[in-house]
Amino acid sequence: MASTGTSNIYIHVIEDVINKVRDEFVTDGGPGDDVLAELQGIWELKMMHAGAILGPIDRSAKQKAAGGPVTPNPVHDLNVPYEGTEEYETPTADMLFPPTPLHTPMQTPLPGMIQTPLPGTAQTPLPGTAQTPLPGNDSSPYYSIPTGGTPITPNEYSSNNDNGGEGQMRTGGGRPSQYMQPPSSWLSQRPPLDVNVAYVEGREEGDKGAPNHPPTQDFFLMPSGKRKREDIPPQYHSGGYIPQQDGAGNVLPEVLKVGPGSIAQIPVQEGSLSCRIPQLDGPIPVPYDDARSTPNMYNYQGVINEDYNIVNTPMPNDMQAATPAPIPNEPVDDDDDEPLNEDDDDELDDLEQGEDVNTAHLVLAQFDKVTRTKSRWKCTLKDGIMRVNNKDILFNKATGEFDF
Amino acid sequence: MATFELYRRSTIGMCLTETLDQMVSSGVLSPELAIQVLIQFDKSMTEALENEVKSKVSIKGHLHTYRFCDNVWTFILQNAQIKSEEGQETVEYVKIVACDSKLLTQ
Repeated sequence: MASTGTSNIYIHVIEDVINKVRDEFVTDGGPGDDVLAELQGIWELKMMHAGAILGPIDRSAKQKAAGGPVTPNPVHDLNVPYEGTEEYETPTADMLFPPTPLHTPMQTPLPGMIQTPLPGTAQTPLPGTAQTPLPGNDSSPYYSIPTGGTPITPNEYSSNNDNGGEGQMRTGGGRPSQYMQPPSSWLSQRPPLDVNVAYVEGREEGDKGAPNHPPTQDFFLMPSGKRKREDIPPQYHSGGYIPQQDGAGNVLPEVLKVGPGSIAQIPVQEGSLSCRIPQLDGPIPVPYDDARSTPNMYNYQGVINEDYNIVNTPMPNDMQAATPAPIPNEPVDDDDDEPLNEDDDDELDDLEQGEDVNTAHLVLAQFDKVTRTKSRWKCTLKDGIMRVNNKDILFNKATGEFDF
Repeated sequence: MATFELYRRSTIGMCLTETLDQMVSSGVLSPELAIQVLIQFDKSMTEALENEVKSKVSIKGHLHTYRFCDNVWTFILQNAQIKSEEGQETVEYVKIVACDSKLLTQ
């Protein structure tokens, strides 16, 4: 809960903002005073929910302020025809450009007040999309920042309130299209792929039509004799089995069990299935390396232990292994030769990502000076808002002393 | 005149941003106008902090992380003690984001 002091300041800020944007709302093309009142209402409601301001809000001071939001120089919108006051019937050259400045009806606008809608923007943008002027195109003084490094230009109205780290930089340009193009038509022009056809390199063209072959095959007419690894599986016509493209020949033994008296030689293991179709380019991996059948640039025969922390000379009998011998001090990792260093991350970093908004303590301020001596940091801050322990504290000056 | 968007991350700034988001999404408000409101908020907030707030606080703690990027300092403190006129607060973890005050006066 905020103290009365901070609550009052917040209320004051809200009113100040509302008053200053009132002109924008009530001029032609603006949403109107109702919308402004709604904005204020919802804003204050949210603040009360957050505990930042204490209700009910004392409006007596507001009435006084609202009664006379007279600025010394009333702003005239030059985009509308000049409507003379009752005192003048028609503006004459003398009136518009009077000899004496006292009588001029056209006042110069205050710096900082926006008279017209920003040039280059459409009147009815879609909700959620922004059409904001790019820096350099806009003559409005707000958007032209001389230095590139200052984090000040609001270029894009974004409902994403994360300021992308602490840089406060908003990149120029409109929001990129949120709609992906539909997948291009060429994607659908690929020849239909029938996964039931085993992909075999060098297979004749005629076999590509094989999927349409009648599904009932005579499974028992297996060619006799042991198969060799390099054997290309028999063509469909010869009454073999239908290989599945996934390579595992698990179906095979079950199918063969059905009929009596089948003389088929059932391959012994799945791993070294003789009808196995090499799926990968490159060397056929040894069974031990089946798990690492992804293309590996390293020569399996000459794998060097990449962990330089242990002394391990590659002995000939170790060549087969792609992974180093289990190292007692580090976790055995099947996927990577190097230790993952999983515990190196500080727990605090996780905390930073998973923190709840309500418990995030935050100080937003401006710094005057930041210095460091060895590991001792000192800084002077000013004009800041702190939110700690669900409380809002404002300060004009702050000093910080931190030990790194 | 340039403004710091820094204060939009405060409670009051977030409430305003949410309100504006809501109104823009429902089409009641145009995004340009919403941006102008936010800019005005930046100015009003900065001005209020300069002129209406007079308190002083002191912060001490263990500095866990420091970062200086784009003229913005970010500190992450652990076990910090924050002393203000209202009393003392102790927080296990606090993030301080500070923009360069000289940028506003350029």
